[in-house]
Amino acid sequence: MKSQRKMKAAVFCLGWIVAILWLGFPAVAADKENCLMCHKYPFVGRIDENGKRHNYQVDEASYNHSVHRSVACRDCHTYITKIPHDPVTEEVNCANVCHTKPPFAQEKFSHQKIIDIYNDSAHGIKPDDSPEAKKAKPYCKFCHLNPLYTRVSEKVIAFDETLRRCLNCHQAKGVTQAYIHMTHRLRKKTTRSPQEVVQLCAKCHQDVELMQKLKVSEEGLTAVATYNHTLHGKSVALGSQETADCISCHASFAIHDIYRKDNPKATVYKDNLMQTCLQCHTETNSWFVQIAVHPRTKREENPLIYMAGIGLRFALYGSVCSLVGLMLLETYGRRKDGIKFLLRRGTSWRGKSKRPPRK
Amino acid sequence: MSISSDTITGSPGETLVGDDYFTYVEGVGPIPRDIFKYVKSDPFGDLPRYSVHIVIQHFLIFVTFLVLSATGLPLYFSDLAWAKYMVSLFGGVDLARLIHKIAAFTMMFASAYHIITIVGGTLRQILKREFDYRRTVIPRLKDLTDLFHDLKYFLGFEPYRPKMEKFMYKQKAHYLAILWGSFVLTAAGSALLFPDTMAKLFPDTMTQLLPSGVVDKGSFPAFFQNLARLMHADEAVMALIVIAFWHWLNVHFVPGRFPLQWAFLTGRITREHQIEEHFLEYLRNLQEIPEEREYMKRLLREKGFDKSHFVSIADLSRVH
Repeated sequence: MKSQRKMKAAVFCLGWIVAILWLGFPAVAADKENCLMCHKYPFVGRIDENGKRHNYQVDEASYNHSVHRSVACRDCHTYITKIPHDPVTEEVNCANVCHTKPPFAQEKFSHQKIIDIYNDSAHGIKPDDSPEAKKAKPYCKFCHLNPLYTRVSEKVIAFDETLRRCLNCHQAKGVTQAYIHMTHRLRKKTTRSPQEVVQLCAKCHQDVELMQKLKVSEEGLTAVATYNHTLHGKSVALGSQETADCISCHASFAIHDIYRKDNPKATVYKDNLMQTCLQCHTETNSWFVQIAVHPRTKREENPLIYMAGIGLRFALYGSVCSLVGLMLLETYGRRKDGIKFLLRRGTSWRGKSKRPPRK
Repeated sequence: MSISSDTITGSPGETLVGDDYFTYVEGVGPIPRDIFKYVKSDPFGDLPRYSVHIVIQHFLIFVTFLVLSATGLPLYFSDLAWAKYMVSLFGGVDLARLIHKIAAFTMMFASAYHIITIVGGTLRQILKREFDYRRTVIPRLKDLTDLFHDLKYFLGFEPYRPKMEKFMYKQKAHYLAILWGSFVLTAAGSALLFPDTMAKLFPDTMTQLLPSGVVDKGSFPAFFQNLARLMHADEAVMALIVIAFWHWLNVHFVPGRFPLQWAFLTGRITREHQIEEHFLEYLRNLQEIPEEREYMKRLLREKGFDKSHFVSIADLSRVH
């Protein structure tokens, strides 16, 4: 009897285990705490006091292709302590230490290092900043939007072939993810295309009102416009993948270390320009770095170039108008003398001249 | 259509001494200025004008110019809607820029080829003592008087067009403009392509030649680069507009040349065109080409101009 009971209990437990494995395992490895139980539904959301609608759905398939696929929800959303949780007031802090251990390192991962670089840069919030500047300065999530994070473009990297050699020794599961995570950034300075970079920076730097509020220099105010005027800017606008964008010159490979150009740490500081230009222009010298990358052609800024531009415009209109005028006059005069348009039967002078006969 | 003799104005007996209506050519006879109205012409050309080298050079320049415009324009007008589509024809902007550079080097090769032919040909003529600067594109005062003469003719104040050389005033102006334009475009384009090398080429002393207002903004290479950016684009747009709205129309769409003047492919000019616009060159053709002399002699006989009694001594002096 006793053994029968034990048997029943064992079958019951085993049944549960099987059921849990069967039902629960398809969830993402990162979702250990089953947050998707609620957040997988497309209409999980709320309407706030201002009538703004918030969507809290997490698309499982997209998330599984994002760079954060192996990070558990609560590694970033640390303020969640119970389920169902209270209304969220805090924001995600990218400087958190998450529970992912990168391969080859025994420490838990954090973005702290790059955030330190960033906080030091022109974009980092400083204690003596005005309230407007504090408000206007972007933080991680301003640029690194999650929608952009979905889908690492693995196909553009021929990683399959390279990875095959790693798999000779390593287990596929761990090394594949590590490899993808590294390589998709290794090929270029930024994951984003030059077009996306320019668009992102222009979002604020083109906003003249905002820039005036932040008291940027005259050059800074027109930076986007003057860049768009150059061959760099024009090529990028047409889809070039080889031309310099904002990041190419204004940041080193740390990407976040953007400083004002009067800061000695800036890549565009006058002593660092040589190094910066050398990335592409191999013959860079001290005169080359003085060439304006954001050229200004207004009269008071560059009088000679301005005058040359006006001169060329006069030459254009003058030559075209006089030449076309001469051609029209010539056609009128010759037509009057009896020429026809087509050369036929050996001559084009088939008409009768309307000129007075020769005396 | 047969040419009736009554359309010939004036009769030989009325010719006055000092009138340059007739030009007497030894062995041919007196040639009336408006004989081009009565000659037979082949649309593909009767008389030599360009050597095969010039035809090849023109073709190279013509093709590369179109490619350069098609790849360069969308870059200059990158903010306009059609630029993206135009660039996609060449497989994206990076490829379009590469094609632009290849075409530019081809054009520079064609220009070098042209200079070698011209300089070589001139040297040969000088050595053979055949060189005559009037047959070249070197500008003269006569070109200016020809222009005013021609304007008067177009407006009806002169009975005939001026007697012009192988290259008339507008051809000389256009040729010299192309010479200047291709020099500027090549120099400015090289500055855009190799800005770093260009900066090396200029010594710092050149900075001192600039007015002080410019020096504050940078050195001479920096100024030159700014100038190159402006010149390359503006000169190119000017060249394209002049070619599209004047050169093509003026060469192919004016009366007597429509729908195509074949000279740029055959290297030959029609007889009526040569006599009308390059009369002095036609006189040389008469000296150099026996068949042409025979043709003209026969034509004059047909039209009744072959009698020599009305030609004055004054006319003889005008023969070049």
